[in-house]
Amino acid sequence: MAVKDYIREKFFPHIWCPGCGHGIIMGGLIRAIETLQKEKNDIVIVSGIGCSSRICGYLDFHTLHTIHGRALAFATGVKLSRPELTVIAPMGDGDAFAIGGNHLIHAARRNIDITAIIMNNNIYGMTGGQYSPSTGYGEFATTAPYSNIDHPFDFVNLAIGAGASFVARTTTYHVTSMIKIIEKAIMHHGFSVVEIMSQCPTYFGRKNKFASAVEMLKYYRDHTTPIGSKDKKNNPDLIERGIFIEKEMPEYCDEYDKIIKMASKGE
Amino acid sequence: MKDINVIIAGAAGEGIHTVGDILARTISAQGYAVFTWQEYESRIRGGQNSYSIRISEKPRNAPLLQADALLGLNDGAVNKYKPLLKEEGILIAQRQSRKRMITIPFGEVAKEELNDKIFANTIAIGALTGVLGADLDTLNQVLAEKFKKKGQGIVQGNLSAAQKGYRQATQQCKGMCAWKLPRQEARYYLVSGNEAIPLAATFAGCRFIAAYPMTPSTGIINYLAKEGELLGIFAEQAEDEIAAINMALGVSYSGARAMTATSGGGFALMVEGISLSGMTETPVVVILAQRPGPATGLPTRTAQGELLFSINAGHGEFPRLVLAPSDPYDAFHKIVKAFNLADKYQMPVIVLTDHFLADSQFSVLDFHLNTVSPTSYIADPQKIRDYKRYQLTKNGISPRLCPGQSRHLVGVDSDEHDEEGHITEDLDVMVRSMVKKRLSKLDSLKQEISLPEETNVNDADIVFVGWGSSRGALLEGLRLLKQEGNKVGMIHFTELWPLPEFSFPNGKTYITVESNATGQLARLLRSEYSVSFKGTISRYDGLPLTGEYIRSNFNEYYR
Ligand code: SF4
Repeated sequence: MAVKDYIREKFFPHIWCPGCGHGIIMGGLIRAIETLQKEKNDIVIVSGIGCSSRICGYLDFHTLHTIHGRALAFATGVKLSRPELTVIAPMGDGDAFAIGGNHLIHAARRNIDITAIIMNNNIYGMTGGQYSPSTGYGEFATTAPYSNIDHPFDFVNLAIGAGASFVARTTTYHVTSMIKIIEKAIMHHGFSVVEIMSQCPTYFGRKNKFASAVEMLKYYRDHTTPIGSKDKKNNPDLIERGIFIEKEMPEYCDEYDKIIKMASKGE
Repeated sequence: MKDINVIIAGAAGEGIHTVGDILARTISAQGYAVFTWQEYESRIRGGQNSYSIRISEKPRNAPLLQADALLGLNDGAVNKYKPLLKEEGILIAQRQSRKRMITIPFGEVAKEELNDKIFANTIAIGALTGVLGADLDTLNQVLAEKFKKKGQGIVQGNLSAAQKGYRQATQQCKGMCAWKLPRQEARYYLVSGNEAIPLAATFAGCRFIAAYPMTPSTGIINYLAKEGELLGIFAEQAEDEIAAINMALGVSYSGARAMTATSGGGFALMVEGISLSGMTETPVVVILAQRPGPATGLPTRTAQGELLFSINAGHGEFPRLVLAPSDPYDAFHKIVKAFNLADKYQMPVIVLTDHFLADSQFSVLDFHLNTVSPTSYIADPQKIRDYKRYQLTKNGISPRLCPGQSRHLVGVDSDEHDEEGHITEDLDVMVRSMVKKRLSKLDSLKQEISLPEETNVNDADIVFVGWGSSRGALLEGLRLLKQEGNKVGMIHFTELWPLPEFSFPNGKTYITVESNATGQLARLLRSEYSVSFKGTISRYDGLPLTGEYIRSNFNEYYR
């Protein structure tokens, strides 16, 4: 199948602002699915609420546009009852780590085979630029007009700490590796977290003195580096990207099957 | 025969639950109708708690407060519960403290004669069995079954202990104990609400429960975690109640029947999910086991305080069904109805129970399983060419398909959507049609609601109106008040939203009877049926309604 078979063309043009990173991520996701040659019918997309979650409307799979923060809980139900389906949950940073943080760490702990794609733009776009759990200390937002005094989460470390068996970070600048990473995350048998740094020129950009979306993409280019690179040693402030964790661990649905077998034998 | 009420009292951790359970099973196996209820503090050890067993010829299924026989496992328990013992009743305890009593130092006998203190409680059970005039053989069978997994030694020890207690009691009983409970033909199921519900869910084809522990609903997930594999139900302990209901919705979207269970505080967290169920038209069954609130309230006590909450829970307007079964038999049937109608109308169904119904054991002669059956309403994908999840139809019910079942893609949206499930802001046409479509389901749903049960309403001047688990207490209240020469009747609701077409007969005085402080049923019925009430007999101290409570409150306030 071709890329255009996976999208609902009739709903274009999409709602995202010019320069928004979310379209790039959607492109990456579709290309990853295309490479994997998945049937439309085999994929369930479960999203929450926010700019990022509107991705659901444009993808021609089984789609569930649920409520803010709850995508992973809903997705867990889908996966438990239909383990043969590929379940992907695209979420925003607030969606995944503020209101939905509890669901995310517990999905990671269970290691259930769901791919969580965190479209991290460090801000709440849809509601007008309020700070999110990844807005940095000293950065600006509608609700932090004199600069943010909260410290941001490090999503990658949080996901690793919670027990996710696949954890990666990439950006909308690094599209080629983004596609590869998403592909691997979908193929991974277990809970995968992919953080994709994504620009929101309308709110994060404007409030934090980025002249344009292009400036923000350049920022991703200049302020990130592959995991363990030489540059990182020279400049510890660089943000690492790549796959941090990729390990085989018992998957939740498989474990449940084993329990059923054990319990039935006991009788 | 006259009903006998036995109270077993002891500290938490002292084993009154096991003692009560074994005695209840023994009397039930003798062929009598048994009703048990427990009253305990919210703590793991200490405190003084009680386990009451009411024994009758025919099922009474309502609590009595006063005791004919009281077994006190320690001095504190004897002191706390002695006021409930009738003058002519019999106390069974380790130390002499009144005339009409059986004195056996269970602990000492166990240690000295059986070399192990663990048999003390079984000596007490043997004594109670003797006092009640039931067969030692029947007790022995129950003990053997109960302890068989622990090995022959333990079984033997228990049998000797039971015999010692039984002998000593019958010797001391001479001229004092008048009861006889010879073996009878009748065989009742002894079952609690929290046992009937998971069995009914299995029967109804439920395949999934997600829940977060919260008394008094926890028994349901405990039961299913243990038996679920064999019953074919996946039991998931979620990270919180929000996750629990959303997981259930995820499963339900995928085509399997799903439920969750909680109490008031957890239900408060689920409210957002109830609304999601309403908007996405995804069926889900929620068991709400009530306890007194607000906030943490009294975790191990009972109440009927969430009636209006459950009817109104959820932002926005959408159809739902609220049921409140009266006992485990009714709960079984209502749960099957809950799953069928959730499926048919693609909406949330809330089943209200309470601590009293959840944990009390009721005697049921027959569940009449042949009168209910699960019916699936998922559409046939072969018959559909272009699929629209929210297709506008006459009765508001759109064909529901599941992902992976056919080539059709299934899209759902919590935003207002069009027929395909795609977000829309077409305010003129689509939004109005969708709101109407969802709400129009209520019209046909209303036709499926059962009328309230009427007892003696025609002849009555005064009619008590109640709901849910207080049915047994209400019927007992009627009996007691009738004996005093009152013309009383009862109207009892178990299906509370939407309410059925019903009219309250004119010329009667109506009083609601409820386990809450604000008369929630009265408020609901007043607004829906324009009926007026003289007042409410309400109980909000965490204890269950009883016939005696209704009688005395009526005499005090309404005569
Ligand atoms: S507000 Fe920001 S995140 Fe939302 S669409 Fe616009 S650019 Fe993208």
